[in-house]
Amino acid sequence: MITLRTEFQKIKRRRVGLTMSVLISVQFAWFLWATKSPGEKELAQGWIELLQILPLLNVIMMPTFMSVLASRLSDLEHKGNTYKQLKTLRRPGILFDAKVICGLLFVAAISIGQIAFLLVLGFCRHYLGSPDMHYYALALVFNFACCLSLYLLQLNLSLLFFNQMIPLVVGLCGSLLGLILMYIKMYSFLPWGGFLSCALAGMDWNIETRIVTYFYREHSAIEYCAIGMVFIWIIVFYVTGRIAFTRKEV
Amino acid sequence: MSTQNLVETHNLTKQYGRFRCVNAVNMQVTSGAIYGFLGPNGAGKSTTLKMILGLARPTEGDITLFGIPVNEKNRIKLLSQTGSLIESPSYYGHLSGEENLRIIQTLKGCSKKDVDEVLKIVRLDSARHKLVNHYSLGMKQRLGLASALLGFPRLLILDEPTNGLDPAGIQEMRELICSLPSAYGMTVLVSSHLLSEIDQMADHVGIIRKGELVYQNTLESLHAHARSQIALRVSHAAVAADLLRQDGIDTSQEEDYLLFPMMEDSYVANLCRRLIAQNISLYRVEKRETSLEDIFLSLTGKESSL
Repeated sequence: MITLRTEFQKIKRRRVGLTMSVLISVQFAWFLWATKSPGEKELAQGWIELLQILPLLNVIMMPTFMSVLASRLSDLEHKGNTYKQLKTLRRPGILFDAKVICGLLFVAAISIGQIAFLLVLGFCRHYLGSPDMHYYALALVFNFACCLSLYLLQLNLSLLFFNQMIPLVVGLCGSLLGLILMYIKMYSFLPWGGFLSCALAGMDWNIETRIVTYFYREHSAIEYCAIGMVFIWIIVFYVTGRIAFTRKEV
Repeated sequence: MSTQNLVETHNLTKQYGRFRCVNAVNMQVTSGAIYGFLGPNGAGKSTTLKMILGLARPTEGDITLFGIPVNEKNRIKLLSQTGSLIESPSYYGHLSGEENLRIIQTLKGCSKKDVDEVLKIVRLDSARHKLVNHYSLGMKQRLGLASALLGFPRLLILDEPTNGLDPAGIQEMRELICSLPSAYGMTVLVSSHLLSEIDQMADHVGIIRKGELVYQNTLESLHAHARSQIALRVSHAAVAADLLRQDGIDTSQEEDYLLFPMMEDSYVANLCRRLIAQNISLYRVEKRETSLEDIFLSLTGKESSL
């Protein structure tokens, strides 16, 4: 807890919360634009539609957002050559864990903020019926898990490289890859495609009637494996990152 | 004061690939001492200090701190009695000096009052609220020292603490380091590539060259090696040396010269008279000095800056 407290002492004036809020507000603006002036059909299906849009936006935006978050939390250590002092005060594993938990709290805040925003948006748009809280809760868990896996990947890169352009470029490439994956399949075993695998809602567009129908997805066995892969990535990135950080000589 | 060794290394070795940058170093730092760790750039000083602090893993050898062998389990506990400043100061530029020290104080678990005290010791109390990014290099160095002093550890490890400081800053830092053992009972292990600096600060000295500890003793003992000699250039040095030895005068020959330990002027005059009486021509009488610098250069292979 003491080490975690110092993580928050360190990021004073770094405006990490503000930076993430600005980035997420871009996503919220996209949501507002995507759901503007709903018709009768949209009002009826609005709650499912929101759950269908969320992973598509996340798969494009979150790799970059998570690279920014990890970089903001890590570059201050590189700039000040602080690990050679910190590693004489705490075990490296504890220092790594504190960094992980600090970021994890931001990731949790982002995930909760996103779901809260969707619910507020749905009520403001006067969508018919009430949100299926079971699906929204599941979306929160999946969203959190996917963001966390990307955060851990980016954190490892940010701690590894002094030049933060490298992890940021990886984040941008991850976003681009997410965009490509979206057009290939609705699941992926890659860490950047986790949002697609965990998507709870799908969309059916009838080319003849030009009517869009939203539905809750029934995942196949391979899609369940892809969801499980998200959690495996979390473990893999955490364990490899912790070992690398602990072994790294400064 | 106890003469227990606070730091002991046994065959401490660090190898990167095929390159041994530290080779079987057996260092002993006595309690209450200021141990000057001297060597040219790249000799292995920082690597040795990093291994003592657990920042680099030794390839071979052991380290004992405060009489206890260091292992991964007790490392942090032993280092809690240690303060360090390695190469350059560690700091968060976007935070003030005081905020930086608060972080270290939280991690060290020492009193909040210590922050005020160390800021006064390093004379940064007037700049405590200034962002460290706006500090001069000297101020950053002093902040690094303040971090090391937090909690008033038993052992202070400083790697080239005067790097980048102006002459006044060097003098200030030197005085501060010299005062630490008497004022706070600290033992200081300070490295430098400057002999003059160590000569003015340390009471014990270890000299490292190409990763090997080539000298370790008190500074007094090193000074004792620095001696003066009388050299006489004569016509037949070998004959003259034999004649003098027969008279019970100890001398050594170096080409045309006879070398004698430092002696009074009257002895020199007597010596000259004896040689001339034996028909040995006397060409020159010289006083030769072997300075501390000469000894250092001979130990370090003339690679260092003085």
